[in-house]
Amino acid sequence: MQFQRAFSYAFGTETKIAEVVFGLVLLAMLVAFGQSAYRRRKRMEPSRRAERNVLELCYVGLLAVVVAFDVFVSFSANAEWWHDPRPDMTVRVTGFQWCWDFRYLGTPVNVSARCAGGPIPTLVLPAGRPVRLQITSDDVIHGFWIPGLRLKLDAYPDHVNTVSFTPPKGDWVGHCSQLCGLYHSEMMFRVRALPAAAFDRWVHAHGGPGRLVSTR
Amino acid sequence: MTATRRPPPLARPATRRADRMEWLVSTDHKRIGLLTIGTGLVLFYAFGALAMTMRTQLARPDQHILTNQQYNQIMTLHGTGMIALVVTPFALGLGVYLVPLMIGAPTIAAPRATLLGYWLYVGGAIAIILGCAVPGGAQSGWWGYLPLSNATYSPGTGANLWVTGVSLAACGMLIQSGTVAWTILTRRAPGMTMLHLPVFVWTELVTCFMGLTAFPSLLSAMGLLAWNRVHPANINFWNLLYEHMFWFYGHPVVYIMFFPFVGCVAEVLATFSGRRNFAYKSTVLALLAFAAGSMAVWGHHMFTSGQVVNDYYSLTSNFLAIPAGVEYFALLGTIIGGRLRYPTAMLFGLAFIPQFLIGGLTGILVGSPAIDYQMNNSYFIVGHFHYTLLAGSIFGLFAGVYYWLPKATGIMFSERLGKLHFVLMTIGTNVTFLPMFALGMLGMPRRVATYPANEGLNALNLTATIGAFIIGCSLLVFVYNLYISNYRKVPAPPDPWQGHTLEWATSSPPPRFNFTAEYPVPRIRSFAPLLDIRERASQAAAGGGDRAEPGQDGAGDGGAGHGGAGEEAP
Repeated sequence: MQFQRAFSYAFGTETKIAEVVFGLVLLAMLVAFGQSAYRRRKRMEPSRRAERNVLELCYVGLLAVVVAFDVFVSFSANAEWWHDPRPDMTVRVTGFQWCWDFRYLGTPVNVSARCAGGPIPTLVLPAGRPVRLQITSDDVIHGFWIPGLRLKLDAYPDHVNTVSFTPPKGDWVGHCSQLCGLYHSEMMFRVRALPAAAFDRWVHAHGGPGRLVSTR
Repeated sequence: MTATRRPPPLARPATRRADRMEWLVSTDHKRIGLLTIGTGLVLFYAFGALAMTMRTQLARPDQHILTNQQYNQIMTLHGTGMIALVVTPFALGLGVYLVPLMIGAPTIAAPRATLLGYWLYVGGAIAIILGCAVPGGAQSGWWGYLPLSNATYSPGTGANLWVTGVSLAACGMLIQSGTVAWTILTRRAPGMTMLHLPVFVWTELVTCFMGLTAFPSLLSAMGLLAWNRVHPANINFWNLLYEHMFWFYGHPVVYIMFFPFVGCVAEVLATFSGRRNFAYKSTVLALLAFAAGSMAVWGHHMFTSGQVVNDYYSLTSNFLAIPAGVEYFALLGTIIGGRLRYPTAMLFGLAFIPQFLIGGLTGILVGSPAIDYQMNNSYFIVGHFHYTLLAGSIFGLFAGVYYWLPKATGIMFSERLGKLHFVLMTIGTNVTFLPMFALGMLGMPRRVATYPANEGLNALNLTATIGAFIIGCSLLVFVYNLYISNYRKVPAPPDPWQGHTLEWATSSPPPRFNFTAEYPVPRIRSFAPLLDIRERASQAAAGGGDRAEPGQDGAGDGGAGHGGAGEEAP
């Protein structure tokens, strides 16, 4: 799945670099403590050398290389994240205070709920088939976040954010990630990706056509 | 106004009740600085108590000790307050107090404007607190994103007061940025060239530059928000523009809340390593590059808006790792090769290094859009910026506070209590904020009033809450230290730590105009003038007659009349 792949690639690579940097800084601090203890024991004065221009320049060069690599990782992960497969179907996701509405475009299927205190809606998707989400809002800015899929995009009123992906089979929890008022914390949803045939049965049971994705 | 009310030039008047009132209208930069920092400290405790209230609510899943409305108001006040009313005023208040002393100036430039800045900040604090405290008050977080913060979704006076308060405090900080920068640029003592400025003063200068560019953007954003609240038409037209204007302030302000504290740490590390700041010129260049770059990264707060050019902001954000890396190099280079002493100030300064690094490195991670699409607005971000602001900046602040309090008050503070404060605060900080990274990965959104029991978040949240209360205890130790040390009143010598910079050449506390005939400004040959004097003295003592130059220079020093300061150094 493109979001998980892009996330794991960027997070895995950059975390390793970060760990090395953190380790080197701790090591440098230990060196400082050790040298200090040595100087104290030998009654040596602190070093008066306050500049090492060549070393400083080399260090900046090294930093620039690491940063350039980080930028490369970031760019390629971003391109991977936004990889846009041709979708088999489109769902319009609308956030509102304080729940979600999922409309399956081209069909009469519509899933919604009340969230706060009541049931939460389920976004049902066909596993292994590319889908497009059009994310928008009816009132304030909400955040459409499926932590398990590493997918998050904000839902703006009067603006549509579009993203396409091919979900694997599975069940996930979704949250609203953008503060949206009183019941922000309860504005949750479920995501379920069913095999194509099961998905079509589900669509049919909810008033949709008999076959939406399983014939392709 | 009148000549009789003005204190005599060389000494403070004896403390009387009238003198206490004079504190509030004094144009002495030291009093304005202490007022700013002191007010910030009181508010730090108040908004910290709010954080503990929120952590109490979040200790267990599905708790409703606070209503959602109360939670959102408290969260808004904690966020807005800590940023606009605590850490930013700390950053500039330190500059107001220390900069004139460190550059050998008798006063701050434009003292009345500086005082006005303080009172605007106080006015802003009152308005923001009222705005979040009234029933149905401001509840849209410290960003106040439109349209949630407009008159339709946040009706009532609370949010209006919030807008007013944020604007007032921004005006106050804008003015103080101006006067501190002006002081540095025009009031330096003879010999105090730009490349003889202490590192702390450089951090203040770039902080002021960022303040002068960032606060106007915040004021524009607040103007847009106010206009939107009065005329609710054009709804949704300005949503994204508001985000841009807000973050054009919001990102530089992150560094405004960081640089002065890295400056504190740099001074503390140099002093207690007995060695001057390493890679000074690189540090200065890095600070300037960092400040310039800070104005070009704001869009990385808006990756999830889907409406910014990801690669550009990812590139500029990653670029900042270079100047940040140079600053770290300088800090580490200072302690390597030193002979370290470990008083409380040094412990806070040393803890700053790895702790801020966690904040910085996680910041670079979320500068990648593919990572940000998971972490944005999750507890990972909460952990990230608390590592920069609390584990970084506030630790730097306490390093500075323990370092300069004897100078400011003339009293030595208890080292034993200071170390207890340090140990508790370090444990508490890490116990609170490390679990938050995991919480964010697991999918806990930020700014939630409660969370469900079945998502595996319970134990980590409880841990974070326990940590928050440990931080609370450590801060009580600090208050007790202030109280008991003030009661014992062990007098502080002018230079208790063998400092490097000019403020240690004058008395503790410094006289009204900072330097007198008894405590003159010593000769300034580098950014560490007092260390120069000590090094020359030890060279002259050790070298005797075998090297001519140091001896000659030493004679020159005597003639320049720094002798008083030299003798004061223990």
